[in-house]
Amino acid sequence: MISRREFMVGLGAAVDFMQSLDRDAVHAHEQELLEHATDALSAIEGLRVIGTAPDKASLISFVVEGVHPHDLGTILDGDGIAIRTGHHCAMPVMDFFEVPATARASFALYNTFDEIDRLAASIGRARALIA
Amino acid sequence: MELTDLYRDVILDHNRRPRNFGTLEQANALAEGFNPLCGDRLTVRLNLADDRIENIRFEGQGCAISTASASLMTEAVKGKTRGEALALFDRVHRLLTDDAADAEDLGKLAALSGVREYPARVKCASLCWHTLASALKSPDAHAVPAVSTE
Repeated sequence: MISRREFMVGLGAAVDFMQSLDRDAVHAHEQELLEHATDALSAIEGLRVIGTAPDKASLISFVVEGVHPHDLGTILDGDGIAIRTGHHCAMPVMDFFEVPATARASFALYNTFDEIDRLAASIGRARALIA
Repeated sequence: MELTDLYRDVILDHNRRPRNFGTLEQANALAEGFNPLCGDRLTVRLNLADDRIENIRFEGQGCAISTASASLMTEAVKGKTRGEALALFDRVHRLLTDDAADAEDLGKLAALSGVREYPARVKCASLCWHTLASALKSPDAHAVPAVSTE
């Protein structure tokens, strides 16, 4: 159990960290990651990006033909890559896109271009194994 | 733990080419299973004659583990009595959750033992079995409530 005091100290440290950041620089980096990831993932055969709104946050939901998102999640986890899978508490949206579930990779200030290349390679391996 | 322990060739094969997949005309027992957290859903239809599973088919959508488990299940229980199928359900459930479980004479179903190293995936493999058990235990095919693993 975390005490109330520990919680407040932790929250304070998190707020200090967030305030120390150059928010414009963080946003620019995350958008560059998104652009790189969109290119890298779109190049994978059988991969379909779900959700392509302009100015969206730095994340990609996607499905891969022949590979269920949960299998993707397990296989990527084995490569040290954490993504979210399932319907993300958004079943009406899944119905709208006519998919049972999606995989979702999100990017933040601490992610790198190299990590996105590893993500793409891992998705390729999952497809080779399962599909 | 290697991924190939989870995704064994038998599992991959039954996922790519599920056996007994589709609807079953003149089914006299059925149950539906859902895993609302992950979106897996399937319907198991049975043709029971004198307490024996004459035929069984399933349809639905799910991951490789859930599809393969359902496919292997239909092969394993076809021709078995209600009691034999339920006893097999108990054995498979132990196989999925208990490291000490014995896989002897389980045949191809033994391939599911790799799932127990992945606790988040156990429900993928067990959904179809819970659904089958529900269909077998209910006397009235149309009164069976949907099974949920949550």
